[in-house]
Amino acid sequence: MSAEYKNTIRQRAEALSLARSFFAKKNILEVDCIALTQAASIDVNIDLFAVSSPTHGTRFLFSSPEYQVKRMLSNGSGDIFYLGHVWRHEEQGKNHSPEFLMAEWYRLGFSFSEMIEETIAFVELFTGQKPHTHLSYRQAFLNARALDPFTASDKELIDACPATYSPSSRDEALNLLLALYVEPSFDPDAITVLYHYPASQAALSQHVLSDGHRVGERFELYCQGLELANGFHELTDAREQRRRFIEDNLLREQQGKEPYPIDEAFLQALEKGLPDCCGVAVGVDRLLMIQHDHDQIKKTFAIDWQRS
Amino acid sequence: MAQISTSDIRPGMKVEVEGQPYFIVSNEFVKPGKGQAFNRIKVRHLMTGRVVEKVFKSGDKLPEADIVESSMRMLYKEADGAVFMNDESFEQVTISNECLADSAIWLLEDTLYDVVFYKGSPVAVSPPTFLEMTITQTDPGARGDTASGRVLKPATLESGAKVQVPIFVNEGEKIKIDTRTGEYVSRV
Repeated sequence: MSAEYKNTIRQRAEALSLARSFFAKKNILEVDCIALTQAASIDVNIDLFAVSSPTHGTRFLFSSPEYQVKRMLSNGSGDIFYLGHVWRHEEQGKNHSPEFLMAEWYRLGFSFSEMIEETIAFVELFTGQKPHTHLSYRQAFLNARALDPFTASDKELIDACPATYSPSSRDEALNLLLALYVEPSFDPDAITVLYHYPASQAALSQHVLSDGHRVGERFELYCQGLELANGFHELTDAREQRRRFIEDNLLREQQGKEPYPIDEAFLQALEKGLPDCCGVAVGVDRLLMIQHDHDQIKKTFAIDWQRS
Repeated sequence: MAQISTSDIRPGMKVEVEGQPYFIVSNEFVKPGKGQAFNRIKVRHLMTGRVVEKVFKSGDKLPEADIVESSMRMLYKEADGAVFMNDESFEQVTISNECLADSAIWLLEDTLYDVVFYKGSPVAVSPPTFLEMTITQTDPGARGDTASGRVLKPATLESGAKVQVPIFVNEGEKIKIDTRTGEYVSRV
């Protein structure tokens, strides 16, 4: 076995135990989930692996354990974390592996800013201490592009996109502009927290008002040009959650993608009552990239996706 | 022409973007966590050689560019270009000085060149990597030049190209030149 191969195995093992000891110190309990599920995580831009068998019909490899974990939370589990693999179809590239390692945890009674601080502490286990920059989504757009994402007209947003890319919605234009112009403006050596996304991109976060604009209490964390984490002050309203599922499925169909079955057990858990909580999901392979200076995600695996 | 999906685009392929022909230099897939995927594709313009980055929605299809390369023999130079012939069909084409661009200084009669055609018209010429040419003008190397650290001197070749050669080679000698860099390789 080559020294490099051995190193890759050891680096991953150390990352797993580093993460587990972080959670153990905070009395956050590890949960294990069924990865191949009947209902699916529904997100316009996340496509799942479907697995069919004659006895079990079609099931999906989850893109996040979120729905199961929230069912446990609503049943009184207390603070919990999941550390394991998740799958996203068609995501492959320098910084993407279709199967990757996610650390996802939930904190009862945490405020949005407490959750951000704890996420930074977790990330710094791997990156070492970094300066921190907190930027609202709106401020980040104003800084990088002098464009107000809440008041700019659809035409202004579309005109700001490259000519070779015609976005089909306002959110699609914003997502592209964020990736092309806003993210590259962040200091690569700092940890940048981007928060308060437009309400239409709240995903599973609660809406609040900020400077008169309806925003989602959602944050993302960046370092060295990599998107590392996505966190929410979690939505607890079952009816709003159902509305977002239906909307996401409609948008999927408009884009020629298949709609996914709605997780009724998850919605029932929300109806029963999800305690007020915050949650975050962190891509651990990318933390390994930064920690060990790997320029490609596949180098963090002893045997990567293509060779497995 | 055939259409190529962003997921199948590889370096070296030839595509048409906004009506212009390009070679693919690199293709990077980017997927924001909750955003739609896109591809950052670096392309080099077939004629100008300029490299630019273009962004496409993942899954979009790009038309393959109608580009054909063929080996042609240079017959003679004219005031506004040079005439080339296909050895098999004996078909002749005149290529303008504008299209010859940087290759103009490497033109030798009765020598084979790669000619690139876009939509049936010649647009670029690339010389062989190595060419053998006679030095038409260079000053003799003076005694003491090497002692002062000077090892190269200017020379003009039969094609008109101006290059640097070692001080020990003389006018009328034949030398081998690397056309990618314009550097002297050896005496022939």
